[in-house]
Amino acid sequence: MVEVELRGVWKRFGDFVAVKNVNLRFPDGKFSSILGPSGSGKTTLLYLIAGIYKPSRGEILFDGEDVSRLPPNKRNVGLVFQNYALYPHMTVFENIAFPLTIKGLPRGEIEERVHSVARMLHIDELLDRYPHQLSGGQQQRVALARALVKEPAVLLLDEPLSNLDALVRLEIRGELKRLQRRLGITTIYVTHDQSEALAMADLIAVIHRGEIQQVGSPEDVYRRPRNLFVAGFIGMPPANLVKAAVTRTPTPCVVIAGGGEYCPGEPLASKLEALGLEAVVAAFRPEDVVLGEHPMEDYVSMEAEVYVVETLGRENLVTLRLPDGQAVKAITSPLLNPRPGDKMYVNVEPSKILLYDPDTELNIEAIEAAPAARPVSLAGSPERRRAAQEED
Amino acid sequence: MPRPRLPPPALFLSLAAFLVLVFYMVPLILTLWASLTPVRNWDIAQLRQFVGAENYRRLFHLIRFDPDVSTVVKTTIVFVAGTLTVNVLGGLLLALAAFIIEERASLGFRLLWFLPRMTPVAVFGLLWYYFFYPQGTLNAILLKLHLISHPVNWGQDVLPWGPWSIIIFVNGLVGVSYGMIIFYSAFKAIPKDIYRAALVDGARLRDLVFRIMLPLTRWHLIFVTVWQLLSLLTTYAHLFVLVEWGVVEKWHGMTWALYVFETAFGSAVNDQALASAAATLLVVVGIGLGLLTLRLMGFERELGAIRGEL
Ligand SMILES: Nc1ncnc2c1ncn2[C@@H]1O[C@H](COP(=O)(O)OP(=O)(O)OP(=O)(O)O)[C@@H](O)[C@H]1O
Ligand SMILES: [Mg+2]
Repeated sequence: MVEVELRGVWKRFGDFVAVKNVNLRFPDGKFSSILGPSGSGKTTLLYLIAGIYKPSRGEILFDGEDVSRLPPNKRNVGLVFQNYALYPHMTVFENIAFPLTIKGLPRGEIEERVHSVARMLHIDELLDRYPHQLSGGQQQRVALARALVKEPAVLLLDEPLSNLDALVRLEIRGELKRLQRRLGITTIYVTHDQSEALAMADLIAVIHRGEIQQVGSPEDVYRRPRNLFVAGFIGMPPANLVKAAVTRTPTPCVVIAGGGEYCPGEPLASKLEALGLEAVVAAFRPEDVVLGEHPMEDYVSMEAEVYVVETLGRENLVTLRLPDGQAVKAITSPLLNPRPGDKMYVNVEPSKILLYDPDTELNIEAIEAAPAARPVSLAGSPERRRAAQEED
Repeated sequence: MPRPRLPPPALFLSLAAFLVLVFYMVPLILTLWASLTPVRNWDIAQLRQFVGAENYRRLFHLIRFDPDVSTVVKTTIVFVAGTLTVNVLGGLLLALAAFIIEERASLGFRLLWFLPRMTPVAVFGLLWYYFFYPQGTLNAILLKLHLISHPVNWGQDVLPWGPWSIIIFVNGLVGVSYGMIIFYSAFKAIPKDIYRAALVDGARLRDLVFRIMLPLTRWHLIFVTVWQLLSLLTTYAHLFVLVEWGVVEKWHGMTWALYVFETAFGSAVNDQALASAAATLLVVVGIGLGLLTLRLMGFERELGAIRGEL
């Protein structure tokens, strides 16, 4: 088992930068997830780790050893492709056996290992079939078996569940996680589905436009999104992002439309002061909203008008409008069933509100000290993105 | 009342049927017909007489007892087998090379191999005339290298393999780009992730070629083989030029197709009846060999597998 580390890794295709200065460490034996929207560079990152692509710059280390120039067949990684990439002219048995056949292992050992991994994944009945005779879920298991049979040091999975229906997906998700625990293989799981990442991963790296936005535990990424992109990407639905003004009386307070006022305590207040911001973006999760007929004591309360109510079964998703037109979503009990046009109060506990600098898009808590010393590692801001592009 | 329009499928089918009839069936039937008459020297009136299998009897008699005609048979077998091997294996190797080298270089590389096919037959023939004739380039090189002490007329004097090697070489060059282009596009059509998966699974180049690329392009191999087989049986343009200019000895440079041509239109004989019988024999042998190749390469098995899915 190995620890995988990326140091200053870049990948260009012609003029296009697909992966930009990625620094990441995937801990030994852990289940890590690379999470990002379509086209963000996830597959590219995975192919870099597998050795299918060579980095344009930077290095990739397995247990501290630089493997950047090693071809894929020297890296001992198992890779499950986004579309499975099973060999269409081989039976399931031959597909799974392929890595071992190539190594020239004795027939008996190949049989034994293929059967054992096939049993583990419940596909031992399918060994004589061809890939085109399998369902999507079965193909996925075969692809996983082929990746596992060679006992790889690193297991790479590229959105392996995206072609499956919701129920099978939930089932395999659980199995995969148990399997990884049992085998203890360093696993990197690429997905655009944040619920998958949150449910399965020990560590999540959020990627957007080829740049890592945040690295942390699911709890971290969910509770303390590092920047506005992460806040707006994670969660079902994602966090509400509301523009708010900053007043000074003389301590700084954040004023949201509809009468919401939030005066943060230390150290946030002095950070807000130090940054000298006139406006911020306030973020809070729809599930942290308490909808009511009245403002609530010790909560930040905003008056809003109900716009749409969606019934989700276990809960209702209510979309409201603040007086200035900004939309806010709230998850409520299905018993609460307001009608469009109703006036209601959006109540949020102050501790559940996060503040972001609208320019850098960074979480103000995460900004270190004075504005001059803003961290450079995470670039979410338009200027910085532009600057980075010019540098290319 | 407007007439009902012919539905398009029927229209297309009847058009195709018409073309096949005019350009394939009619000549075939005419050839068969002519082979049963005593027609010579373009005396069309003789087409109404009927001599039964007489021309076939003559033909088989010639094959058995005329050393020139039996040489033609041997030349045909060696030429088709040799050139087919060169074309299919050479095409495969060139396609592999083109696939492995860098994309930009690959285009030029492929175009290069198309030159022999695109060059007019006469120009190409002239080129090889200057290369192979006694005072030509080949002998000059060999003399320089002291491999021979005096010029050799390879195509005329070194029988039978001199002329056979030359005709296989020249036609191999002309035909090799066909297999190359088909195999190359077949390799390109295999999804990239299949190659990547194989690499990640530990495959070396040899494994990629023999375990992934060749098995996945079986159809193309069958197709190119059968197609080239049939074209080689019937091709004669380059051979005609080589024989006519004396690059190769007449009977060792003449395949059955050229023999048909010579018998029908040649200066010495003008025996269209015999030529028709020879042509008919060629068609029968061609169909037989084509079917045999398909069977040998497991075409029916593949077709059966696909039918099973439908
Ligand atoms: N070989 C290539 N040549 C040029 N551009 C490429 C190449 N591969 C990927 N890209 C570009 O790089 C970006 C990232 O692609 P990548 O496949 O890594 O995205 P992804 O995050 O895996 O997306 P998805 O979730 O849709 O699979 C995309 O904009 C894509 O168009
Ligand atoms: Mg992808």
